[in-house]
Amino acid sequence: MSAPVNAPVSVAGGAPGGAPLLQMQRISKHFGGLQALKDVDLTLQAGELLGIVGDNGAGKSTLIKVLTGVYPPDGGGIVLNGERVRIPNRRASIDLGIDAVYQNLALVDYLTAPQNVYLGNEIKRSVLGIPVLDNAGMRKKAAAILNDRLGVALGDIDQHTFNLSGGQRQAVAIARALIQEKGRILILDEPTAALGPEESRRMLEVVQRLKRKEMGIIMISHQLEHVFELADRIMVLRRGRLAGVRSTAHTTRQEILGLIVGSIADYEADAGAAGAAVTP
Amino acid sequence: MSVPAIAAGRERRQPAIERYLNILGPLAMIVAIGVVMAIFEPRFFRITNIRIILQDAAIYMVLGMAMTLVITGAGIDLSIGSISALSAIIMAIFIKDLNVAVYAAMLMALIVGVGCGLVNGLIITLLRVPDLITTLSMDLVFRGLALVLAAGAVLQRFPEPIPAIGRGRILNDTIPIPIVIGLVVLLIGVFIYRYTPLGRYAIAIGGNRESAMLSGINVRRNKVYHYMLMGGAAGLAGIMLTGRLNAVQATVAEGFALHTIAAVVVGGTVLFGGRGTMAGTLVGVILLSMVTNALVILRMAFFWQLVAAGVIIVVSVAFYSYLERRGKGGSE
Repeated sequence: MSAPVNAPVSVAGGAPGGAPLLQMQRISKHFGGLQALKDVDLTLQAGELLGIVGDNGAGKSTLIKVLTGVYPPDGGGIVLNGERVRIPNRRASIDLGIDAVYQNLALVDYLTAPQNVYLGNEIKRSVLGIPVLDNAGMRKKAAAILNDRLGVALGDIDQHTFNLSGGQRQAVAIARALIQEKGRILILDEPTAALGPEESRRMLEVVQRLKRKEMGIIMISHQLEHVFELADRIMVLRRGRLAGVRSTAHTTRQEILGLIVGSIADYEADAGAAGAAVTP
Repeated sequence: MSVPAIAAGRERRQPAIERYLNILGPLAMIVAIGVVMAIFEPRFFRITNIRIILQDAAIYMVLGMAMTLVITGAGIDLSIGSISALSAIIMAIFIKDLNVAVYAAMLMALIVGVGCGLVNGLIITLLRVPDLITTLSMDLVFRGLALVLAAGAVLQRFPEPIPAIGRGRILNDTIPIPIVIGLVVLLIGVFIYRYTPLGRYAIAIGGNRESAMLSGINVRRNKVYHYMLMGGAAGLAGIMLTGRLNAVQATVAEGFALHTIAAVVVGGTVLFGGRGTMAGTLVGVILLSMVTNALVILRMAFFWQLVAAGVIIVVSVAFYSYLERRGKGGSE
């Protein structure tokens, strides 16, 4: 299972070369008087993992919800594989191959893991010409994804997700994003926030494994160490604006922290100064 | 942790006792009523009486199926009695005053029912009026329309198959047709619940509306479907009621909504949405019909039926709360 053609990680350095998988251009969004996002740009390459960090209220989750059609942006555009796209609702983003694991996981407690995995994307089969849910088929495939691809055992797969542990629930949420054949972009919003150290470790391994696929991953996290471990590039948001983007290989934790809290000068205003300011 | 269940490839189900724990409560009450009646009034168990109980229950099976779906989707419909009345009155006028063919008139009753449900659904989803307020208000509107159209008349003596649907029997005059209709509708409900996106999305919408939306489910469209199905069921119930009495007037079916909601809730469907069972609804419907019948046979004043119904609802919901605390709340 090695990725043959695309040598993804090499993209990570500096300016992206070929047509990026995704470009979000000058995205703005306000809620009443609150400017949640202001002219934010985002670029994602295939095979790349982009980390997004920032303080609470920096606009990380809002940016993700714009990308997944939950919030329509007030301004700006989205270009997917070189084509300008409109994402008016969640359904549209799913159909474009944009999958997301939200911070609250978006599971339905009183459905089973397979029912949650396929929620909104059910497999159907025809019985006497009537399309009916293929419950057995979905159950089998969901079990395969959970066991084989994510390496998570649920015990009784027919129990309600209500009864599952934090790590198991996280796995179910990620499995949902993996059922799409045409899935091109995977968004992970705080994938380790609800997990203990052991479970976090396993989740990072899972993300690491996903990374080999020909897919772009966006990971939001408060845990800088996790971002440094997995991300090829790190994007910093501050108060709804882009504070800076750094290649993980060429930055330090101090610099990223500086961008997060604003002690390092604005990226766009004075990139040179930002570079100078990092030396500890 | 091992995963033998998955490797085996066969459906591994929860033990039946756990799956149906939630209807054991109402089932126990049915047994208790049986015991009490065996002691005080053995006539309760005559075939003719049991047939009456089931016949009374049949209409609520039809209504209960759709109401289970509506409530599972975190909705509620208080307008179903008026929808039944309006559907039946329009059907009756078509037959009696306009000489429309009986099957066309019956189809009209169903269309009126679905149409009323569509109106409810659109008000709830497009105008964002809460389900309770919408259906409470539309209950008045539909009832008012029925009263206007009927203009005080009692329409009676309908051509077949309307009387047959309400009180006919099949299989050597043994099985009442309404019971067959009620059970078939409930089976359709089981099918909807287990094998269609409509049922699954109702659980998702009622259980976690935001998750349903983030899964790409069109929440509003599904809600409209729930109310349309409910309206259609109310239309069918209107035909059944007309057939049973072989007469209809605009004031019929007054208590349909509360009785149906009570039966559904007694059966274990959670009033706040997200969980429900058709099997539970069947049990709840039969339990309430039994109680009504038992009190009649014991010659208790009608008002005691209200007391009994209220007590049963409270006891059932208390039972579910207890199960919930034990972490074994069930659903299909």
